[in-house]
Amino acid sequence: MKRIKTRRISAILVLAFVIIFLAACGNNKSKEESLNLMTWGGDFIPREIITEFEEETGIKVNLKEVTSNEDMQSLLEANPDQYDLAVLTDYMVDILRKNETIGVLDKDKIPNFSNINPVYQSKYYDENNEYSIPYAISTSLLLVNPSAVEELGADPIKGYGDLWQEELEDKVVIVDWSIEVIGVVLKALGYEYNESDPDILAEAREKLFELAPNIVRFETNTPEDSLINGEAVAGFMYSNQVVKGLAADENLEAVFPVEGMPIFIDSFVMSKEAPNSDNAYKFLDFVLRPEVAAKIADITNFTTANNAADEYLPEDYKNNPVLNIPDEVAANTSFYIDVASVLEDYDYIYSEFKNK
Amino acid sequence: MKKSTKERLKQNAPAVPILVYLILLVGIPLLLVVLLSFFSRDSLGNIVFELSFDNYKKMLDPVYLRVFFNSFILAILTGLISLIIGYPVAYFTAGLNRKSRSFLILLIMLPFWISSLLRTYGWTILLGKDGLINNALIFLRIIDKPLNLMYNFGTVLTGTVYMLIPYMIISIYNSVDKLDRSLLEASYDLGGSKLKTFFKITLPLTMPGIARGYTLVFIPALGLYYISDLLGGGNTMFLGNLINNMATRGRNKPLASAFAIGMILLVLLVLFIYSKVSKNSKESLL
Repeated sequence: MKRIKTRRISAILVLAFVIIFLAACGNNKSKEESLNLMTWGGDFIPREIITEFEEETGIKVNLKEVTSNEDMQSLLEANPDQYDLAVLTDYMVDILRKNETIGVLDKDKIPNFSNINPVYQSKYYDENNEYSIPYAISTSLLLVNPSAVEELGADPIKGYGDLWQEELEDKVVIVDWSIEVIGVVLKALGYEYNESDPDILAEAREKLFELAPNIVRFETNTPEDSLINGEAVAGFMYSNQVVKGLAADENLEAVFPVEGMPIFIDSFVMSKEAPNSDNAYKFLDFVLRPEVAAKIADITNFTTANNAADEYLPEDYKNNPVLNIPDEVAANTSFYIDVASVLEDYDYIYSEFKNK
Repeated sequence: MKKSTKERLKQNAPAVPILVYLILLVGIPLLLVVLLSFFSRDSLGNIVFELSFDNYKKMLDPVYLRVFFNSFILAILTGLISLIIGYPVAYFTAGLNRKSRSFLILLIMLPFWISSLLRTYGWTILLGKDGLINNALIFLRIIDKPLNLMYNFGTVLTGTVYMLIPYMIISIYNSVDKLDRSLLEASYDLGGSKLKTFFKITLPLTMPGIARGYTLVFIPALGLYYISDLLGGGNTMFLGNLINNMATRGRNKPLASAFAIGMILLVLLVLFIYSKVSKNSKESLL
């Protein structure tokens, strides 16, 4: 009797498990008009804008927040029929189009595409503007506390080269990624990003090791905090972080390094098997409206690629050189190209550097 | 009497769901990691399906071995410090009456209800340049310039000990709790000093708890990469950081897999030592 009971219970358990498992696997498709969107967290596509779009069109937007380009790649490649749009960074557009994960966009369905600034079009990752629509532009630059630098007896910081001054011991914060840190070194030496020549790399390695005593902290998410609380007097970080730092502490100053700086263009791409492509086109055209683009730029603190948005931008945004990048500065920027092919060597040098 | 296979199957039937669960969600992914570790990747970061031992060869490079060494030292020290701080706490707690005992255990478990990431940020509020400790010391005129309390090996160690010490306390507590106090009385009756009683009776009898606690602290200490990021300022590279970086921004899942296997081997070594230590004990983990 007891044994039969045990058997029955276990049978029920197995069955329940299988049902739950299958239910979790199946996708619950509803008839409701929807759009599946994937991008960075932290209000990168502001909730406010999404709600506005939903109210206007009645299309439900499912937003998936992801923390890296690589995560977006894995999700897109594993389930190409579950996502419509993704916003990801330049080099990833290149990878995804070569992998045929994303499709060619039908520009006829996006009349507002004409608002896009030509400066941010036809880049190496999409020469003919077939696959991507630039959404947010950011750079990396220096955030400096000039009076604190002077107090330490160091020369004013104008470029990467100035970060090596011995007066700055334990006073520099820098984003934590091999490509970017070694990029700073390469630029300081007068080379380009992602050099693969072994001699140049050997030189960069040596120069990198010389920087070690000056770095107080490697921090990717909130490096500006180190300048605000006085831990560091100079830092190399992303433009949105520089903007936050400037707003929090008036002693801080943004410095466009004389050697030039990296630029990132985050763009919309469409999955090749997008299930709701029509809704996706509607959304793209919506965010490209000048007033919407201006609102997004103001909320996110990223530079907009939308030329027509200019007249809707608030004054303090327009007066902020970090957001409203001057043309001569924009001309002195470059991309991190072919990241994947140099990365292993760079990571190796970087590991060596950190273990010193 | 030997049971027939059929009978044994029936008896073990309730274990089937959890077995299926483990095979599907632990066994198969682990197998994939093993497989992946023998592949490589192309210049776009896509996986190339050619078997080779290259990733393991790379792992044996001195630079990467150093990372293994760093993590190993961190985990060993985390275990040791947790033991030294945790043992008296556990011993004291087990000797209290039931009510205060459960209250203390609750206090020890309480931090688990808060996100570990948040608790790590808490330490930056304490130790930062503009933090509580520095401000208090300046206020008391003990120092006149803020001290550098953050971003070194010691801060990382503080963080890992803080995060993992409850496991140590609870395991030792369980052992001390089971200790037959009449043995201690016997020792005193026979003229054993307190110190001698502790080292000859209490310590050997609570050894299984120590070994279990050490194992429970050592293993996660290898992988808490966010602590070394936040409290160590990324100044030292540990295994967790390296693997995390390789698997995500490094776009090199095969190499990351090989390192993960290396880490698993390190853990197995510790489990092996643990099984030796607790071989003759009834309250074993394995």
